[in-house]
Amino acid sequence: MDVKESIFVKMENNYIFVKPGMSPGEIIKAVRGLKGVCFTSVGMRDAGQSDYKNRHRIYDLSTLAPYYNNMGLFSAECHGGARWHVGVMNRRESPFEEINILRELMPDVLLQTLVRETNLWGYRPYPRNVIEYVVSRVDIDVWRCFSFLNDVRNMRTVAEVVMKRGRLFEPAISFTVADWASNDYYLKGIEEIIDLCSGTDEIILCIKDMAGVGNIKSISSLIDSIKQKYPDLVIQYHRHITDGLAIPALLAAAQAGARIFDVEEDSLARFYGHSPILGVQAYFEESGIPVNLHRKEAEAAVRKVREWIGYYEWAESPFKGFDHTVTYHKMPGGAFPSSFEQADKGGFLHLMPAILKVMSLYNRIIHYFDVTPGSQITWVTCSGIVNKYAKAKGEAGVKYLLMLLAKFIDEKSLNFEAMEKEEQEELLGLFRNAPGDFKNLILGHYGKLPMGWPPEWVYKSTFGDEWERKIKERIELSPLDSLEDDDLEKLRKELSDYIGRMPTEDEFILFLMHPKDALEMIEFREQYGESPLVLPTPVWREGLKKQGDRVDFELWGKPYSIELVSIGAEHEGIIHVVMRVNNKTRVYTVETPRAKKTEIRMAKGIGQIGAPINGNIWRIGNPERGALKVGDIVHKGEEIANLEAMKMENAIISPFDGQIAEICVKLNDFVIEGQLLFVLEKM
Amino acid sequence: MSRKIKKILIANRGVTAVRIMHTCRDRKIPTTAVYSTPDRLAHHVFMADTAVHIGEAPPAESYLNMEKMINAAIKSKSNAIHPGWGFLAENAKFAQMVIDAGLIWIGPSPEVISALGDKIQAKRLAQKANVPTIPGIIDVTNIDHIKKWMKEQHVSFPIMIKAVSGGGGKGMVKVGSKNELPQAFEQARSEAMKAFGDNRVLVEKYIERGRHIEVQVVADEYGNVAHLFERECTIQRRNQKIIEEAPSPSLDDALRQEICFTATRLMREIGYTSAGTVEFLYDTSSQNFYFLEVNTRLQVEHGITELITGLDIVGIMIDIAMGNKLPFKQSDILPNRWALEGRLNAEDPKTFSPSFGKITRLQVPQGPGVRIATGVYEGADIPPYYDSLFMLVIAAGADRADAIRVMDRSLSRNLRVEGVKTLAPLLLSIIRHPKFIAGEFSTRFIEERMDELISMFKEKNSEDEVLKIAKYVAEISALGPQKWM
Repeated sequence: MDVKESIFVKMENNYIFVKPGMSPGEIIKAVRGLKGVCFTSVGMRDAGQSDYKNRHRIYDLSTLAPYYNNMGLFSAECHGGARWHVGVMNRRESPFEEINILRELMPDVLLQTLVRETNLWGYRPYPRNVIEYVVSRVDIDVWRCFSFLNDVRNMRTVAEVVMKRGRLFEPAISFTVADWASNDYYLKGIEEIIDLCSGTDEIILCIKDMAGVGNIKSISSLIDSIKQKYPDLVIQYHRHITDGLAIPALLAAAQAGARIFDVEEDSLARFYGHSPILGVQAYFEESGIPVNLHRKEAEAAVRKVREWIGYYEWAESPFKGFDHTVTYHKMPGGAFPSSFEQADKGGFLHLMPAILKVMSLYNRIIHYFDVTPGSQITWVTCSGIVNKYAKAKGEAGVKYLLMLLAKFIDEKSLNFEAMEKEEQEELLGLFRNAPGDFKNLILGHYGKLPMGWPPEWVYKSTFGDEWERKIKERIELSPLDSLEDDDLEKLRKELSDYIGRMPTEDEFILFLMHPKDALEMIEFREQYGESPLVLPTPVWREGLKKQGDRVDFELWGKPYSIELVSIGAEHEGIIHVVMRVNNKTRVYTVETPRAKKTEIRMAKGIGQIGAPINGNIWRIGNPERGALKVGDIVHKGEEIANLEAMKMENAIISPFDGQIAEICVKLNDFVIEGQLLFVLEKM
Repeated sequence: MSRKIKKILIANRGVTAVRIMHTCRDRKIPTTAVYSTPDRLAHHVFMADTAVHIGEAPPAESYLNMEKMINAAIKSKSNAIHPGWGFLAENAKFAQMVIDAGLIWIGPSPEVISALGDKIQAKRLAQKANVPTIPGIIDVTNIDHIKKWMKEQHVSFPIMIKAVSGGGGKGMVKVGSKNELPQAFEQARSEAMKAFGDNRVLVEKYIERGRHIEVQVVADEYGNVAHLFERECTIQRRNQKIIEEAPSPSLDDALRQEICFTATRLMREIGYTSAGTVEFLYDTSSQNFYFLEVNTRLQVEHGITELITGLDIVGIMIDIAMGNKLPFKQSDILPNRWALEGRLNAEDPKTFSPSFGKITRLQVPQGPGVRIATGVYEGADIPPYYDSLFMLVIAAGADRADAIRVMDRSLSRNLRVEGVKTLAPLLLSIIRHPKFIAGEFSTRFIEERMDELISMFKEKNSEDEVLKIAKYVAEISALGPQKWM
């Protein structure tokens, strides 16, 4: 009796219905078999991206993992989007380390990423072989893949690799509410997706409402028409909350037949991310829709967040609050507050109302979806136009711009010819200073635009006299078919030359996505080791402040402790910090930006001859010729200097026939390994 | 003839000086250290009873300055000088000056040093004593001379050019081809001039994949000569030994007896006194050994012989210098252990580029079977002017495998040096290499396997990693949050 009961209780509490290792078909079957709906928690990715600039560290996020492991989630979105890049660039956490940490702490949860079709986790299209290489090496269970153009062709390679690996592919259609974005338009895209994925049994379709603009009517009607055409298709609704009306829209979507919803911990929810998990569950259940969620575990996760969320106040935007006007300008999630911050930093905060207005007009001229990289293109283009007018003609100029666009769009229904002569001239200057990515966009470098190419005047406006030639250059093919493969082994060699050793596979992939930031991160980690992973957030951010402040942590299974003894006063750009590291006193010399730097030139490239080792240049020239000077001709194999180190002589040999352009050291200088000695010009 | 040693001046620095002072302390003989300006606060200075400043950093102004050395002995009331190894150790002129000043020279007689220090004479002496020598020509003044010899004797490249007065791997250049010959010849002569003040060189056939075996010999003034068995010093980089062991794993007992007996015979014929080493090159393929040279001094690697025999070679040198007889017969010497020495040089283990600076943290290996000879302390500087050796790690065990285990433990877990790079990762890769463990190696072991050895370097340990974290904490504490925060 007792035994039976305890088994029953266990069963009752077991909400886990999908697990890593299940095939896509099995996962879809499990979702279809659920009584009611289920959740994807975006607490580990989009929540942080939308309201905290992706600053949430895996150190804190991983505390939620044990709860997620029992919660009965469909998946945890913990990877991808901008979190990847910000991890490399700022947090100095590798997305690979994050996966490893989470896999260990929540082995029963499907890990989900967000990937930008050919742009993967970067901002430009990658060639097919790079996509194949990367996607096949990242251990993610659910691949949510979107296109800011809804150009389904661009998803092909990601889809193929993911499905071949037996992982779940989740194609997303970017969703907005606009006169041109009809149900028929979306259905056409969905049809292409279903063709690409050979049916509805091994995929989930995501409706990606990144700005949070789907109203009850539009979302119900879209899901309804999808379900009519594809009754078995599992639909996930991803909806931001910026307009303040998210939860009713989620319910409408559930009632229309969507099965999976993106939510985040209530205590993480702010203004630009997703709906609170507990609130949505309660609202759904009240409305008669069962939710597969272990409520107690979800509540515990919500409480856990409170333990650390206070450490991230600095990362929140000062521009807070819902704003229903997002339905006009359609800026997605976290891009909205960060645009205010950029405007503030750039000294044009007062122009924001005008910029938002221009954006809402711009997106009626050129149709695509404001999500990465489209949202960045829109922002840079529109803020650039407004700033240009403000600079040239002040407030009156901005007013004129708004009037001009309103007239063109609202009154003249985008009929260029219907505008006055001067107004036409003005429009023809509108995009003249548009950013390169805007030009690439209308030349087809990212793929085809959802409603076809923009009108001719846009090309005239962008390219001036060259417009006809540029139109001829437009690429009709998907970047998958137009981009040449990269030479991966050459790139790997390049990376290993930079870092002076063979890179790991993970490092190489980071480098493929974001070369500059990956190099900086590798350098950071060589210097500072696992600081980003083991230090608590206050110490990671501010260090130790007072004498006796101390941080205890574990590294590789052993305890360590760092205690501050004192921070000295700055003297000539140097601060001495005394700390006890595991009880041993150590003095650290920290250079401030004012530290004097004696720059040593290092040899780089052909013709620059460096010192092979540290030592003393005791001879410039050789015994046969005597000393050498600038302008002298030297021959391949000829000794041009000699360096002595610890009583051993080392000849510096000319690598080719050449002329000495520069001698960079003096006789008896002490030089370090790699230091530039000679510049030779090849003959 | 009995002479009483009252106080010993050690004409050396670092590991060498400290090692000799240990025995002096055992014997309660006071010591005098000498130091150059950058060595003012060096370990050997603190170890001594008195210390005398002898000049500026360049060796010629300090540790190679014979007059200053003698004056320092007189000034400090020392009546004996031990030269250690390197610097003035094999300088016959200096030995004579010491004796002429009425001081006791702890080492072989100036005549013997002079005869054996000249590689040409030494080779002749060896031939006279029926000791096999490497085919070659002596007293070479130009490269035509070399070419002619090669042609006549059908010798092919590579060949070896050696400074006549050389030693310790300096003034030795291997020549791989005809093209390299002119420059190599010049380099050998120039290095020889600089290091030894003598630019004469000799040329020998290069024995490919030879093994370097040497026999430790001690002899008193009364004609008693004994060997303390052999050492194998085959593991070298740039002709300098970095790992030595005793006994040699390449010899069987018959060959061991033969090589040791040959060395004793040679030293007896020469009339050698004090401690010295006869070096041989052993050609494993032909099972022949060739005389290389006699080192007329205490050697860096004498410690492994001390560990396998239980003797104190520095003590024996002092005894002999005082006119005492060897306290043992050959038949008393029964090695019963295996010992291994690793030289800890302050060098980049990948490039051998010297790495000098301050030793900011030093944790010395301890535990069963370990002997450490160090020339530094935590906080000490390693100046750029001298040899990069700063510590010897010596491990002993019942057999070779045991000794290797002790060495592995010492290098991998107990040792920590911060502030300078050391050869420790390379030493560890070598002793962990299957070919080393199997005893199959030649003098080219390191050059032939450098990439493989480097790939065996353990990339990370948690001690180093935690220091990186501490560095981060220090910087953030001093400078405030990173820019993007």
